Amino acid sequence: MADIELDPVIHAQARLRVVATLASLGAHDRIAFPRLQKLLDMTAGNLSTHLRRLEEADYVLITKTHEGRTPATYVELTLAGRLAFQTYTTSLRQLLGDAS
Amino acid sequence: MTSDEPDAAPDLADALAIIAAQRARADDTRPSGPLLFGIWGAAWLLGYGALWLTTRDDGSPSALAVTVAITAGVVALVVTIVHVMHRTRGIAGASAREGALYGVAWPIAFLAQSMIVGGLSQAGASGEVISLAANAIAALVVGLLYIAGGLLWDATSMYVLGAWMALTGAAAALTGFPDSYLVMALAGGGGLLAGALVETVRTRG
Repeated sequence: MADIELDPVIHAQARLRVVATLASLGAHDRIAFPRLQKLLDMTAGNLSTHLRRLEEADYVLITKTHEGRTPATYVELTLAGRLAFQTYTTSLRQLLGDAS
Repeated sequence: MTSDEPDAAPDLADALAIIAAQRARADDTRPSGPLLFGIWGAAWLLGYGALWLTTRDDGSPSALAVTVAITAGVVALVVTIVHVMHRTRGIAGASAREGALYGVAWPIAFLAQSMIVGGLSQAGASGEVISLAANAIAALVVGLLYIAGGLLWDATSMYVLGAWMALTGAAAALTGFPDSYLVMALAGGGGLLAGALVETVRTRG
């Protein structure tokens, strides 16, 4: 149990909230940036910073598209991100001694 | 921009709480079963209740009762559309596509229902036969689409309600006019309201 390490990309307050929210959506769903921002109550700049970090780790996929003429940005958890989050929650429970 | 959101690692127990809180928050991206069951249950109870009350007296529903029934249906429909659009805005991908296809199945099924009823009318069916068939087929449409929704979203309560609604329409047809309206109001509307109540208690627990 001493060897369990929590993924540092996810184990940070703000990013954990982002990943947990994205993981709650359907497996093949994307969410528009402003809607995600609202679910997280984060500023746009703040959310962008954390998304960039998650994107670098290949945990999220960011798609820029157009809806009519307005540009839209969609965010989704990649398969790697979903797996990493699963591993993270499993490790977390183990560290907490399976208390829950 | 406000000072950056803590980049710090959360406490282990806090981390679990954060995950649970965001899960609950993400529920806002899905339509609420209790709300939709509740609004339709109220519409059925009110609409079919009004039809039954006035038909019992003189054999055909009053204009007021018909207006009440149609208004209840339209209000429930508008609430449903607004609620679903509001909850699911900004969500794209597989579930949005499934939801859109599921949504379109409703007008298709009710177009078919009205064509069948029109056909019965053309073939010389009496007002009573037309009324029984229209209600039973409508309940069958609702029932089967609820069953489909239950399968699509792994929602057993929706599946069970669907089965109940389909059988309610069938039972109403067997009951005969005008008490079929009472069956639709109490078993149909009441069933949906009971479903809303059960779901509310279950999701809180």
